[in-house]
Amino acid sequence: MKKLLALLLAAMLLCLSAGAMAEAANAPIAKEDLKIGVLHINDSSDQGYTYNHEAGYLKAMEELGLDTETQYVPKYHIGEDDKCATAIQELIEAGCNIIFATSYGHGPYVLEAATQHPEVQFCHATGELAVTAGLPNLHNYFAQIEEARYLAGIAAGLNTKVNKLGYVGAKPFAEVISGFTAFFLGARSVNPDVTMEVIYTNEWSSATLEAQAAQALIDMGCDVISQHSDTTSPATTAEAGGVLHVGYNNDMIPAAPNASLISARIDWSHYMKYALECMMSGEPIATDWTQGWAERTVYLSPLNTAIAAEGTQEAIDAAAAKFDDGSLHVWQGPLYDSEGNPAQIMSWDGSSVVYTFSDEVYEEPNSAPQFNAIIEGIHINE
Amino acid sequence: MDTLMNLFGAAVLAGTPLLLGMLGEILTQKSGHLNLGLEGTMYMGAAMSLAGAYYYEQWVTAAGGAASGFVACLFATGAAFLIGVLASLLYCFLTATLRADQNVTGLVLAIFGTGFGNFFGELMGIGAGGYVTVGAATKAAFANPAFPSLAALPVVGKLLFGYNWMVYLGVAVALAMAWFLNHTRAGLNLRAVGENPATADAAGIHVTKYKYAATCIGGGISALGGMYISMVNTGGVWVHDCVSGKGWIAVALVIFATWSPARGLFCALIFGGLSIMRMYVPVPGLPMEIYELLPYVATVLVLIFTSIRQSREHAQPRACGTNYFREER
Repeated sequence: MKKLLALLLAAMLLCLSAGAMAEAANAPIAKEDLKIGVLHINDSSDQGYTYNHEAGYLKAMEELGLDTETQYVPKYHIGEDDKCATAIQELIEAGCNIIFATSYGHGPYVLEAATQHPEVQFCHATGELAVTAGLPNLHNYFAQIEEARYLAGIAAGLNTKVNKLGYVGAKPFAEVISGFTAFFLGARSVNPDVTMEVIYTNEWSSATLEAQAAQALIDMGCDVISQHSDTTSPATTAEAGGVLHVGYNNDMIPAAPNASLISARIDWSHYMKYALECMMSGEPIATDWTQGWAERTVYLSPLNTAIAAEGTQEAIDAAAAKFDDGSLHVWQGPLYDSEGNPAQIMSWDGSSVVYTFSDEVYEEPNSAPQFNAIIEGIHINE
Repeated sequence: MDTLMNLFGAAVLAGTPLLLGMLGEILTQKSGHLNLGLEGTMYMGAAMSLAGAYYYEQWVTAAGGAASGFVACLFATGAAFLIGVLASLLYCFLTATLRADQNVTGLVLAIFGTGFGNFFGELMGIGAGGYVTVGAATKAAFANPAFPSLAALPVVGKLLFGYNWMVYLGVAVALAMAWFLNHTRAGLNLRAVGENPATADAAGIHVTKYKYAATCIGGGISALGGMYISMVNTGGVWVHDCVSGKGWIAVALVIFATWSPARGLFCALIFGGLSIMRMYVPVPGLPMEIYELLPYVATVLVLIFTSIRQSREHAQPRACGTNYFREER
């Protein structure tokens, strides 16, 4: 009986303290008390995804005047497995009051931790769990990279001589599909005859597979290669094969000066700055956050003018201006599938139709892209 | 027809790093050393070949000259081979001299080499301020066909002569090794050491010398497989984790090739071909995840058939994996 009572009391205490902490979550936190934990899937030597994330975060902290030595606790090489749970625990023990998780697969671990630690804010890039979970301390964020991809696609469309583009995709996920479709739509906006071949590597980062996929695309006759994968090997393979390339995550011109035209990038500093400012003012952080070209949260690396066709920069600028004034939309209907029917966006498991394209503009409901229709002109090699 | 020719070409390219890695391991295992550190050796070869070419270029440019692609190839090859030899020397010292367990030593080398490769690859990257990458002349030397005039021939040109020089190096090493093992006295001695070191010792063969020589040269050849990955696959740019398991596959291919260098040529071609076939010959309705399994299914089948046949000639050298104690004879 005594034991039961003790247990009950302990449980009550726990609930009380949790409640008190939840309340404290919205209280403003002084700048010098902020401690930021970040889960990186790799480290910045990848010169790609993690490099771009870390550069953005450091930029945000510098702009806010935070000390990146003491207030930034990065965890590198955190896979999408148990390591993630351990790393989150370590970050909390280190006193972090806001934790950023950069990879999609960190989601379930972040969700679990957010339930147990209401006093800590959790921000998860590219995920979609925050919307459904409804926790006040769990947030998702991403950027409308499709707008930058669309603009990069214009460079591809104007520089292909055979009107055949190639795309090395990581996995058949909505994030990848919406990315290459936007790239293709950009190319088609300036070159109506263009078609595109896609090969999936089934890996986010595999130098050899990406090189092999790029070579297969070159062998199919594609003369501009783009990618949604983490390494530079599609760029260097394009260069060795004498074709052009459009990159992602980082400026790839140093790696392939004779092939790399331009790269679509995300400036992650915008979100971190926003989230930290919320922390300091006591405002709640948005459950789901995204920004696009108009805010320059997505942007382009400088065009390689030494190899780009004349007029490329002008065409990109013209379309960019339309993104700025809101008159251009990537997902402008109508879009059709290869059989000429209106394109359809399916639920993630393919069981039901979420959206059918008409003349209207399709708006992504969340920051994580949902667009997964394969439109005519794009051929998936699988 | 075009697709098949492209597939063949891609298969050759995909198979070459595996071939080089496997050849080095065959030579090593023929001496009775099971070197599981292949993955590490390949990583070290990948990083050091890039370093060799890169620092040679830096040095020449600093001196006001223009870097030659050919010399850069020499530096890259030399650096990769040397680091492979050094890594294997360490392995030999631990196993042949200190008689440490071969499995454990090999695994340690695999882990050490992976860290070594990524560490120095990244260090060079940081030094270069982002990407560490070789110049256009070196890139071209590794990417372009070795015999440009022959490569221009119709059909045959592309099929036989359209590859970079490392492909021919791999073929040459395979043929030379096949000849060495089967047609020379030293080759016979080496096989004897791998099969039964005590008998070889009694016959007056210097067991330790053979073990050291075969393992070190084997390590050097394997490191060239890593060099293929960093200089050809990733185009002379250091990419974190670029070898990513190719060394382990090469170890498995040794069994696939049943310890025969000549047979290894075909195995590397078949395995390389199966690994990229889905990109060239899509089979409608076959999920790509299943398609990607094909090379491994082939390996399992070969294992099953060879174990059913139980041919002595095509088996692992009998003393492979065990250290030789002369005093225990």
